[in-house]
Amino acid sequence: MGGPPGDHGDKKDDKDKKDKPRYEPPPPTTRVGRKKRRGAGPDSASKLPNVNPNARCKLKLLRMDRIKDHLILEEEFVANQERLRKASGGKGGLEERRAEERVRVDDMRGSPMGVGNLEEMIDDDHAIVSSATGPEYYVSIMSFVDKDLLEPGCSVLLHHKTVSIVGVLTEDSDPLVSVMKLDKAPTESYADIGGLEQQIQEVREAVELPLLHPELYEEMGIKPPKGVILYGAPGTGKTLLAKAVANQTSATFLRIVGSELIQKYLGDGPRLCRQIFQVAAEHAPSIVFIDEIDAIGTKRYESTSGGEREVQRTMLELLNQLDGFDDRGDVKVIMATNKIETLDPALIRPGRIDRKILFENPDQNTKRKIFTLHTSKMSLSPDVDLEEFIGQKDDLSGADIKAICTEAGLLALRERRMRVQMADFRAARERVLKTKTENEPEGLYL
Amino acid sequence: MAPTTPENPPKETKELKKELPIGKSKDEKEDKDKKKDDPKEEDLSEEDQQLKADLEMLVERIKEDKADLYKPSIDTIKEFIRTSTSSMTAVPKPLKFLRPHYETLIEVFDRWPSGEDKLNLADLLSVLGMTSGNEERLDTLNYRLQAPSNNIGGWGHEYLRHLALELGKDYTRRLEKDEDVLELRNLALVVVPFFLSQSAEPDAVDLLTEVEAIDQLPSLLDENTYPKAALYMSSMVNYLSPPEDYIFLKTIHEIYIKFNKLQQAMQVAVRLNDVKLVQEDLDRTSDAGLKKQLGFIAARQQIALDATDPEVQSCLNNSRLSEYFLMLGKELNILDPKVPEDIYKSHLENTRGPSAATPVDTAKQTLSASFVNAFVNAGFNSDKLVLVEGQSASQQSWIYKNKDHGVLSATASIGLLKLWNVESGMETINNYLGMNDKYVRAGAALATGLVTTGVRDENDLAIGLLTDENYIENVDPLVKGCTILGLGIAYVGTQREDLTDLFLPVISDSSNALELPAQAALALGLIHVGSGDDKISSTILQAMMDRPQADLKAKWSRFMSLGLALLYLGRQEESEHILETLKAVEHPIGKHTRVLISGCAYAGTGNVLQFQSMLHLCTDKVDVSEADKEGDDLFQAYAVLSLALIAMGEDVGSEMAIRQFGHLMHYGEPVIRKAVPLAMGLISASSPQMKIYETLSRYSHDNDPEVAINAIFAMGLVGSGTNNARLAQLLRQLASYYHRDPNSLFMVRIAQGLLHLGKGTLTLNPFHTDRSVMSRVATAGLLTVLVSLIDAKQFILDDAHHLLYFLVPAIHPRMLITLDEDLKPLPVSVRVGQAVDVVGAAGRPKTITGWQTQTTPVLLAHGERAELEDDEYISLTTNMEGIAILKKNPAWEGRD
Repeated sequence: MGGPPGDHGDKKDDKDKKDKPRYEPPPPTTRVGRKKRRGAGPDSASKLPNVNPNARCKLKLLRMDRIKDHLILEEEFVANQERLRKASGGKGGLEERRAEERVRVDDMRGSPMGVGNLEEMIDDDHAIVSSATGPEYYVSIMSFVDKDLLEPGCSVLLHHKTVSIVGVLTEDSDPLVSVMKLDKAPTESYADIGGLEQQIQEVREAVELPLLHPELYEEMGIKPPKGVILYGAPGTGKTLLAKAVANQTSATFLRIVGSELIQKYLGDGPRLCRQIFQVAAEHAPSIVFIDEIDAIGTKRYESTSGGEREVQRTMLELLNQLDGFDDRGDVKVIMATNKIETLDPALIRPGRIDRKILFENPDQNTKRKIFTLHTSKMSLSPDVDLEEFIGQKDDLSGADIKAICTEAGLLALRERRMRVQMADFRAARERVLKTKTENEPEGLYL
Repeated sequence: MAPTTPENPPKETKELKKELPIGKSKDEKEDKDKKKDDPKEEDLSEEDQQLKADLEMLVERIKEDKADLYKPSIDTIKEFIRTSTSSMTAVPKPLKFLRPHYETLIEVFDRWPSGEDKLNLADLLSVLGMTSGNEERLDTLNYRLQAPSNNIGGWGHEYLRHLALELGKDYTRRLEKDEDVLELRNLALVVVPFFLSQSAEPDAVDLLTEVEAIDQLPSLLDENTYPKAALYMSSMVNYLSPPEDYIFLKTIHEIYIKFNKLQQAMQVAVRLNDVKLVQEDLDRTSDAGLKKQLGFIAARQQIALDATDPEVQSCLNNSRLSEYFLMLGKELNILDPKVPEDIYKSHLENTRGPSAATPVDTAKQTLSASFVNAFVNAGFNSDKLVLVEGQSASQQSWIYKNKDHGVLSATASIGLLKLWNVESGMETINNYLGMNDKYVRAGAALATGLVTTGVRDENDLAIGLLTDENYIENVDPLVKGCTILGLGIAYVGTQREDLTDLFLPVISDSSNALELPAQAALALGLIHVGSGDDKISSTILQAMMDRPQADLKAKWSRFMSLGLALLYLGRQEESEHILETLKAVEHPIGKHTRVLISGCAYAGTGNVLQFQSMLHLCTDKVDVSEADKEGDDLFQAYAVLSLALIAMGEDVGSEMAIRQFGHLMHYGEPVIRKAVPLAMGLISASSPQMKIYETLSRYSHDNDPEVAINAIFAMGLVGSGTNNARLAQLLRQLASYYHRDPNSLFMVRIAQGLLHLGKGTLTLNPFHTDRSVMSRVATAGLLTVLVSLIDAKQFILDDAHHLLYFLVPAIHPRMLITLDEDLKPLPVSVRVGQAVDVVGAAGRPKTITGWQTQTTPVLLAHGERAELEDDEYISLTTNMEGIAILKKNPAWEGRD
C-alpha cells in the first residue's frame, strides 16, 4: 500500500482544476400534481399492464388470459399467506400493532390542526404552503401523507406548531360542476323520437359506439369522431335527441347550456369550462352536451366591451378543451344550436366537431310518425283523420305538431269532452299556425 | 357491422328495434318495447314494406311445390341480402324480415330432395343462420358444410367472422367427442384466403390456430400479406403452450424462407435455438453481404458456426467486436478513460461531518475502485489505474495497492478492460501470467478468460495458455479454481468437448474439497449452457450423491447445483428426467437443485404453471431453527429467482411478476425477501423503469442488511450501462447514507460502476433482436452472480468477489453500427425512437415514436428501435440493432 504515490498527487491537481463542483441538474421530483399521477411513480406498479392490440383477435385474448392467470396466482398466494399468518401469529397481534401505529400517527399530527393551501411543491418532501392568516411557509411534508393526493392548490392540514403538512383535505369538485352531472336520466328514449333515423344513426356512430366498441374504429385504423353538432330550425328535436342519448347511455352525461358559461367575474367562465372537461375526464367515459352553443360560440370580432371579450375568451377555452394539447380521452361532445352560421369557424372545424348533423323540418312520413307518437296516448274520436294535416304543405316542426296536439286536447277540455275531435284539431292547427307566423317573420331561420 | 345477437324474439320487428343499442342491457330495452308493441306495421317506411312483401312472396314460392321457381326465388333473396347496406349497429333489413320465416325455410330444406336447389338453399340458410339461428346449433356452419361454395367471400366480412367463430367452437366440440375434423379444416382453408384478401391477417391466423392447421398458412400467403401475418404470429408465440409455440416458430421460419427473407428466418431459427437450421439458413445464400449479416445475427447469440469465407467467419466469430466498439467510442467521443471518482462524484454527496472524509475500510474501498474502474472502462482498452503506461507489472502499480484476494480481482480487471480485444489483451496479461504471486496468477488466469469471452478465437489462446500445467494442474486451489472459471467464461456457450474431458475428472474427484468440483461444474454449465448434455449432468449428479452429506453443506455446493441447472437452460420438458433422478438425492441440495433446474428450463417462456409451482414453493414454511437445518430454505430464494427467470422477456408476464414481488416482499421470510430485489433486477436488467428503481430504492433502506445490499446491487443492475441520472442521484445518496458500513458502501460503489458500465454504452439485458431472443449465455452469467448474491456475505462481500466478473458474458454493446458490404463503417442518418407495438394494427403504422435523427453509430436504449432515415441504402437486417450491413439502393434518386 504505502503512502500516496506521485500520480495520486497529480490527480488531485487535476481534480482541483476540473472538478469544481460541476452543475448537476436537480433530480426530477417524482410526481407533480394530479395530472401526472397516471403512468409514472412507484404506485403505478399496482396497475395492470396495457393490452394491445385493441382489435378482436386471439393475441388479445391470450394476453388478457395471461393477466388473468397471474391475478389468480396473486390471489391464491395472498390468501395462503394470510391464512398462514392467521394460523401462526393470531389476528390480535397484528390488529393491535396497527391500532398502535394509528395512535402514533395521530400523536404526530397533533391537534388542533391548521388548514392551509398548498402553493407549490419544492421536492419530494418539502412544499410551500399559505395559511388563511397570510404568510407563506416553507414546510416539510410528513412521510405518512399520501403524496399522490397532494397537488398545487389543494387544502392541507398543518401541524399547529411546526406547520408541517400532516394530511390532505380531499377536495370536492366545484359544486357548479356537480350540478351539471345528470343524476336522473331523462325519460325520453329513442322510441319517443318520430323519424330522424338518419340523425340518430349519425349521433350513435359518432358518440355511443366509440365508447362501447373502440376496437371497431381501431380495426379500421381511424380515430373515432370527437364530437357532433346538431343544428336546425327550432323544434326539430335536437335537445330531444340529446335526451334520448342521455337516456340510453351508461356513460357519464354532463349537460350545460352555453349561457351558463357566461359568468359575472373575469375568468370564471373559462374556469368553469375547464372544470367541466376535467370532471368529464375523471368520470370517463362521458358525454358532454352543450345546448345553445351560439350563446358563447359566435364569430369573433373586434369588441370594446369587456363582457364581449370575456365571452370570446370563454369560447377560446372551449376550443382548447375540444382539441387542445391534452388528450381528452373518452370524452365525447354534443353541441346543439339553431344558428350554425353564426358560430366561429374554429369551433366547428373537423377535429373539434367532426360531424355536423342537420335537423330539418319533418317530411310527410315523419310528420305522420310524430303525429302518431303524440296522439297515441290521447283519446281520439273515430272521426279524426290525421292524414289531413299530414298532407297539408304547412311548414310544421316537430314542436309545432306537438303544440297542435296539445292545443286540440285543450280545446276539447274546454268543452268538457272526453274525446278529441277532428274539429279540435283543425282549430288547433289554425291557432298554432297563426301564432307561428305572427311572432316569427318568415325567413329568420334557415 | 357488429352482428346483433340472435336471441331477440322475432316478433319484435319494429322499426326502431333495428337500432339495437348495444350497450344497454336487454331487459331494459324489452320493457320499453313491450309497452309500444302495437304500432308495428305502420312504422315501416314504404320501401321497407315493399321489401318485406317481396321477401315474403319469395319465401311463399319456395314453400310451394313448383321446383322450377326455386332457383330464381332463392337467387333473388340472395341478391336482396347482398345489396343491402345498413349502419354498423343494425341487422341488414332483408335478414331481419326473413327472421320470422327462418324456421319454415328449415322445414322446407329438410323436405327437399338433395340437388342443386337444396345446395342453393343451404347457402342461403347459412347466411340467415348468422342472425336467426341459435348459438348452440351452429347453423351457419352446418349449412355451410352442406353447401360447398367458393363464393363465400361475397357474403361479407361479418359473415366470415361468424363462420370462423362457429368453426372454432365446432372444432373443439368435435375433438372432445373424437369426431372427424377434416371437413372443418378444409372449410377453414377456404375461408382463410378471404380473410387474407381483406387484410385481416390476425383473423386468418386465429382461425388456422383454432383448427390446428397453422402449418398450412405459408402456402396461402403472398407478398403483401406475409409480413403482418408473420409479425402477428411471432408475438403470439410467447403465449402459446408447447408444442404449439414450436410449430408456430417453425411456420414463421417457413414463411420467411418462402419469401426469401433470410435474415428474419435466421432470427427465428436463433429463437428456436436450432443450430442446424441456423447453419442451413446461412448456407442458403451466396450473397457475400447478406452472408456476413447472417453471420452477425448468429454471432449475437454466440452460436458457433463455420463458414468457408474468412470474412464471414470473422463475423461469426465476433472477432472485430472490439474494433467496432472502439469505433463507437470514438464517434461518441468517450475514449478518454475515467477514474472511479468521476463516477462517484463525491463532491455531490451530502457529507456529514469529518468522518466521511476518511473511509472506514480502505481495503474494501480500493477493491471497489478496481471493480468500478473495470466496469466503467470496460472494453475501452485504456484506463488510468491498472493499465498505466510504463509501470506495467512494476511493484508500484495499482494492483499491488490491493491485498490478497483484492490483487486477484484487480488483475482480473485487465480482462474486462481489454474485453473482446484478444491480441492486445493477451499481450498485457502475459506479463502477469508469469508472476510468482499466486493471487496475480489466479487473476491473470481469470483475465485471460474475460478477454476472450463472446469472441471465438481461432488460435484458442485461452486454452493454450491455461491448460499449461502451471495453471490447470496447479496445486494451489485458488489458481486452479480461477483457471477453471476463466476457461468457463472464455468458452461460455461454445460446447467445447475437449474442455468437458478436462473438467469431468475434477468434478468426480472426491478427494478435493468441494470448492474445485463446484467451480468445474459451474464452468461446464457455462460452456454447455442449454445443451442438456447427459454426460456432464450424470457426472455432476454422481458427484452430489457420492459426497458425504457434510460436504454438501459447504457454501460452494450451490454452484454444483447451478452448473447442473445451466445445462438445462431453456430446455423446458427435457429437464423432466433429471428432475426425477434428483429425487434420489436425499440431502436438501437435491431439492434446491430441482427448483433451480425447473427455473432455468423454463427461463423466458412465461409459463404460468411453472410460475405457479414456484409460488407454491415460496408459500411453504421451512423450519430452519435447528443448527443442522440451516440453509435448507435456500430453495425458496431459488424459487424467487426462478419467478423472474420464467417471467422475463415477455412484457405482460414481467409486469405481473413485479406485482407479485411486492406481495413476496410483504409476506416473505427473510430468505425470500433477500432474493426479491435480485429477481427484480434480473427481470429488468439495463432497463431502468421508474417504478422498479423507486421500489428498489425503498428496499435499499430495509432493516435487513442483506436485503438492502441486494437491493443496492439490483439498482446497479437495473440501470447498468444507462448513465441514468436519477439512479446516479439515488446511489450517491446511498453512498453518504452508508458511509460507515463498508459492505454496503462496497455494494453502492459496485452499483455505481455498473450504472456507468462502459461509460453508458453497454447493456446487461439478456434479450436482443427486438427483445424477442434470449441470450442463454447472458442469462447464465447473470444468474451465476445472482445465485452468489443470495448469500452475499459468503461470496461477494467475502473473498470471492471475483464472481462479479460473471456479469461479463452478459455484457454487450447497446449500439447500432452500420457497415457497407465490405465491413467498412458507413455513417448514415437513422431515426431512433421508442418502439411501438404495431402487431395487429390497421394500415401501416409507424414502428417508432418520438424519434430523433442521428448519424450512426448510435446507442439504443432498452425498448428503442432505429430505422433508416431515407432510402439511399437498404438494410440487410430488419432489426436495426447491433451491427447492420447496408447496401446501396439501386432505385435511389438522390435527395431533392
